[in-house]
Amino acid sequence: MARLSSLTDLNELFDRIRDDVDKAKPRIVICAGTACQASGANDIIRVAKKYILQNQLLDTIGLRITGCHGFCEMGPFILSEPQRAFYHKVSIDNISRIIDAVIADDYVEDLLYTDPKTNIKYYSQDEIPFFKKQQRTIFSLNQEIDPIRIYDYINKGGYRALEKTLSGFSPAQVVGEVKASGLRGRGGAGFPTARKWEMLAREPGENGKYIVCNADEGDPGAYMDRSLLEGNPHSVIEGMTIGAYGTGAHNGVVYVRNEYPLAIKHLIIAIRQATDLGLLGKNILGSGFSFDIKIVKGAGAFVCGEETALIKSIEGKIGEPRQRPPYPVKKGIDNKPTVINNVETWANVPIIINLGAAEYAKVGTPGNSGTKIFSLVGKIKNTGLIEVPMGITIKDIVYDIGGGSPGQAKIKAVQTGGPSGGCIPVDKFDLPIDYDSLAKAGSIMGSGGMIVMDENTCMVDVAKYFMNFLKDESCGKCYSCRKGTQRMYELLDDISAGRGTFEKLSLLEELAYVVKDSTMCGLGQTAANPVLSTLQYFRDEYIEHIKNKTCPAGVCKDLVGAPCQDACPLGTEAWRYTAYIARGEYEEAYRVIREANPFPSVCARVCSHPCESRCRAGTTGGQAIAIRALKRFITDRVDPAVYKPMRVVKSGKEISPVAVIGAGPAGLSTAHYLSLKGYKVTVFEKAAVPGGMLTLCIPEYRMPRDVLQKEIDALIDENITLKCGTALGSDFTIDSLFEDGFKAVFLALGAHKSRPLNIEGEKVEGVFPAVDFLKAFNLKGEKLAKGHVGIIGGGDSAVDAARVSLRQKGVESVTIFYRRTRPEMPALPEEVDAALEEGVQLKTLVSPVRILSQQDRLSAVEFIDNKQGEIDAGGRRRPEPVPGSEKTVPLDTLVVTIGDVPDIYNILTMGIDVVDWGTIKTDKDTLMTTRPGVFAGGDVVTGPNTVVEAIAAGKKAAFMIDRHLSGEALEIIPQVKLPEVYIEPTQESDEEAGLSDRIKIPALAIEKRKKSFAEVDLSLPVAEAKLEARRCMRCDLEFTAYREEKEEKSNETGEKSA
Amino acid sequence: MINLTINGLPLNVEEGTTLLEAAKFLGFPIPTLCHMEGLSPYGACRLCLVEIGSGAKTKLVSSCTYPAEEGLKVRTASARVIRARKMILELLLASSPQSKVIQDLAAKHDIRQQRFKQEYEDCILCGLCVRVCREQMMAKAIGFHGRGENRKLGTPFGVKSDVCRLCGGCMYVCPACQLRCTYTEPEKAICGGCANLSPPCVEKEPFDDMMCYMDPCVACEIETEDKQKKIERRQINDVFKN
Repeated sequence: MARLSSLTDLNELFDRIRDDVDKAKPRIVICAGTACQASGANDIIRVAKKYILQNQLLDTIGLRITGCHGFCEMGPFILSEPQRAFYHKVSIDNISRIIDAVIADDYVEDLLYTDPKTNIKYYSQDEIPFFKKQQRTIFSLNQEIDPIRIYDYINKGGYRALEKTLSGFSPAQVVGEVKASGLRGRGGAGFPTARKWEMLAREPGENGKYIVCNADEGDPGAYMDRSLLEGNPHSVIEGMTIGAYGTGAHNGVVYVRNEYPLAIKHLIIAIRQATDLGLLGKNILGSGFSFDIKIVKGAGAFVCGEETALIKSIEGKIGEPRQRPPYPVKKGIDNKPTVINNVETWANVPIIINLGAAEYAKVGTPGNSGTKIFSLVGKIKNTGLIEVPMGITIKDIVYDIGGGSPGQAKIKAVQTGGPSGGCIPVDKFDLPIDYDSLAKAGSIMGSGGMIVMDENTCMVDVAKYFMNFLKDESCGKCYSCRKGTQRMYELLDDISAGRGTFEKLSLLEELAYVVKDSTMCGLGQTAANPVLSTLQYFRDEYIEHIKNKTCPAGVCKDLVGAPCQDACPLGTEAWRYTAYIARGEYEEAYRVIREANPFPSVCARVCSHPCESRCRAGTTGGQAIAIRALKRFITDRVDPAVYKPMRVVKSGKEISPVAVIGAGPAGLSTAHYLSLKGYKVTVFEKAAVPGGMLTLCIPEYRMPRDVLQKEIDALIDENITLKCGTALGSDFTIDSLFEDGFKAVFLALGAHKSRPLNIEGEKVEGVFPAVDFLKAFNLKGEKLAKGHVGIIGGGDSAVDAARVSLRQKGVESVTIFYRRTRPEMPALPEEVDAALEEGVQLKTLVSPVRILSQQDRLSAVEFIDNKQGEIDAGGRRRPEPVPGSEKTVPLDTLVVTIGDVPDIYNILTMGIDVVDWGTIKTDKDTLMTTRPGVFAGGDVVTGPNTVVEAIAAGKKAAFMIDRHLSGEALEIIPQVKLPEVYIEPTQESDEEAGLSDRIKIPALAIEKRKKSFAEVDLSLPVAEAKLEARRCMRCDLEFTAYREEKEEKSNETGEKSA
Repeated sequence: MINLTINGLPLNVEEGTTLLEAAKFLGFPIPTLCHMEGLSPYGACRLCLVEIGSGAKTKLVSSCTYPAEEGLKVRTASARVIRARKMILELLLASSPQSKVIQDLAAKHDIRQQRFKQEYEDCILCGLCVRVCREQMMAKAIGFHGRGENRKLGTPFGVKSDVCRLCGGCMYVCPACQLRCTYTEPEKAICGGCANLSPPCVEKEPFDDMMCYMDPCVACEIETEDKQKKIERRQINDVFKN
């Protein structure tokens, strides 16, 4: 490389290398950024090189190894040029196919990027949603250049800004141009870059001035600066050179973390190449201007990102901040004037010069111009680096670019700005991203880390995590920062371990404000942000931890115990019976199930199994244990008589009679548990048979009636009187019950009134509310469906109605019409699958508009197509009707299942308040209604809900009614339920056990089940059940095994001392 | 000359004067632990906080490090200052409850509760000893190492310093803990002298191979006058205090 000694030389070089490149030659681009290297890019590169050499393809195809492209989730990947086809998660076996296809200008269809949610295949990288919404001004070069080849950079327009500066700009003009562009510091605080430069330019320069590139990127989850330095070091060097020219500095320092070896390597190479070419060093391009850059490697202290600490560190001293003023621009490195800017700020400078300030400022919003790189990480589908114009909303980033949540859990917040930043909750996702609005929302832009959090993230745990980081990374100089972060961590740890009190919470908040107020540097002043912003938006989570000793997200170990047990509203020890099954101790397993749940066989069939969605085998990347199927295995096998419920009758007091209204799961559970305490309970049921929704609505193929009947019969003992066919309002009132001597009443009326569609022509023959439709069949055997059946809705009762219709004579087709998409259906996915297998059709993204009839009988329904619109507060895309897409579907039967409400018309007159949406108003903690002595629970309080929730409400009501009648305070002292019983794990290793994936639950053959009401799901065979149980990760052992050990130890020492 | 107002009183000071000096000149009391005349200001203990600025843009700064600025409005005892100062004292009291100085300061500021878990720390890491060693003795024998909760005081690499002249200045300036160096416990020794000197002049069990640098050697004294150990120490304490 000959040193260029003038601008003419440089221009000649531009021309010369432009002609060197064969533009038509196809080329594959392999990302070798740190993330891709971690996922195996180096092997890909090796194999690709080998293939090209072996097949003598050097002249036909080019290979470029570049820095990070940003879509790190999908690495390693190969990009083809000029097609721009994007092959993701490439394995070494596929490289030859890709290379051959690129040479032939063809595509390898099966390897192209396909969106997992929409199944759309993309032929060009630019069409992929992740890239499409981005504006990659700085970052786009990363995939076009090899970072260790300066000619690559020059060929893509590199060093033109320097040429432009040196040929036509005075230093003041450079600063003026940056000022006009409105560039603000990308390091986080957003100080106008040109203001610093102006001040530096004004400082006398005879003793030397410094400009520094701050590449001490230490925020957890942020790696934009790293990727820039790795992928495009020359842009930073060029930016610094221009900045030095503008401010009159001759010394440059890049302060880069030693943990970034690749960035350091590429930077060293780039500096050497630039120096060799005469783009750095003395008398650059004959302009008389000299500038040198040296690299200082940081030793890994987070605080050294703070500018005064960074200066100390460059000087070779311990990295601790000092008081400003004097500001570094007056007294910086070795007391010489110094300007410090972030990597990304420097990389913006050549772009401003090239585009011109006015053009640059067009991007973004006034006051916040340009683009910003974020590292999008956390609970998000498309993890990676993104570059977006300022002012884009968080919603756009999270849902459009990020692709939303990777699983079923809803996104609840993003954390920006690393440990110094704060959280922004989902209802503020319309916020434009810029320095000012983020600060207003209690967070900061920071250097660009963006951590997405969903329902499975506990905000107390997040605050604790960051505080743990900060207590280690505080320099320790300021007492209030050092001790304050330690104490805040201590308090957060107390809260997350169930030792929290409201006093500690207020102390935490008080301390957080003082730490924010009283420390010297930026680290300390923002150290309280993780606490303050989670408290601002998620105080209820803190209160849950303190008051109820629960962690709603299921994260805080000391409150959660085993996730399956924690997730169950009844607190069933799922881990425990699973462990017993693995050991073959089935009766023990039954006792565990029955202990918590009076309806084991029912829940074994129709439970919504929240335990499975929390199961750690599933949340850690695998598949959840089939806990419900295991429960079914036990209840099918074990005689219920092995469990004898404990009867505890409080002696020495009068036993008062209790009335329970409604014999559904909630009412029967209450009656059962009250009976165990010796109460005489009378259960009133409006229908002719007990069971509530279990009998009326759940079809027989899911819940065989003999099983249900047996379970109900077992609960009704000598203390319980069941009166079917008597309804509240017509046969008795609450007043009359109290007059009859009942001392307490429990209302478990359920939600039996279907909501109407409220569209034109609804009241015609052939249109049925779901509850009526299912009731008519389940109770009276009436087959209301005929011909072409349409079901509107997407919940469990929609699927039930569809599958029941399918089994009725005279039905030709059954179609479910749902307004959103399949993954958003609230029905259990396995139920939907089963319905589709049986031949039910599913039409999504349609809404009914009007119902057409002939002679008062349904003839057709007009539907309108929906498109996915804006994201609503729940994180789902709102269905928006597409005008003009109306179409008429001829239907003979229509079942409307868009939700049920309680029938509370009667109750209003009985001194009991209801809430607006038509459910009974109760105290959440005590279940008491506004009328003393009257309690309520189940669907009548919550609206349509799961069986297990109803049983839990019934159980709780029994407890509360007992306390009420005994004259005790209505409260439950919250207790953490941690696993307590140690069950020795089976000793065989995983290989011996032959562990595989989650078991497939056996089902009746499709032909058999289509026309019969025989139970569809079958019981697991013994071997498979044991194997499935063996798959359990045994989260309980963490608590029980340790305890055993401890006890052993204490026994040993006890023996010794004895 | 720079004009500023402190608690509403106008004042004219030389450039480079700190707010603490200015406030002291007017007689406003500001508590300090890490400040000492003759040593460079450090700003570690955060007790000397004052509120500066006016309107919505006020902030707390440590008065010992903040230089007086033209037109600056300073309040030395605003509600915000007092709130922060009390919390810092509560933190100090919780971590070093045995220090008389901290007890007195806490009492003076009406700290009536101590809501954090009790700790027994001997050192508040104010850095006075480090600065006296560096700036007055020109020795640079001791300094900080580690950061955050692992920040500690000591000699480089924890070995006996060969630039330490055993002047005892570090112990003399210690504000809060009163001679935290107890010679005999290695983790409490500042300079590492005791812990690393080899001559086994003492055979007594608690000292093993340790020896004190004090002249006369404390350890030897103790050997001869075993029972007077505590009295000896207290005397040395008094010497340093006065």
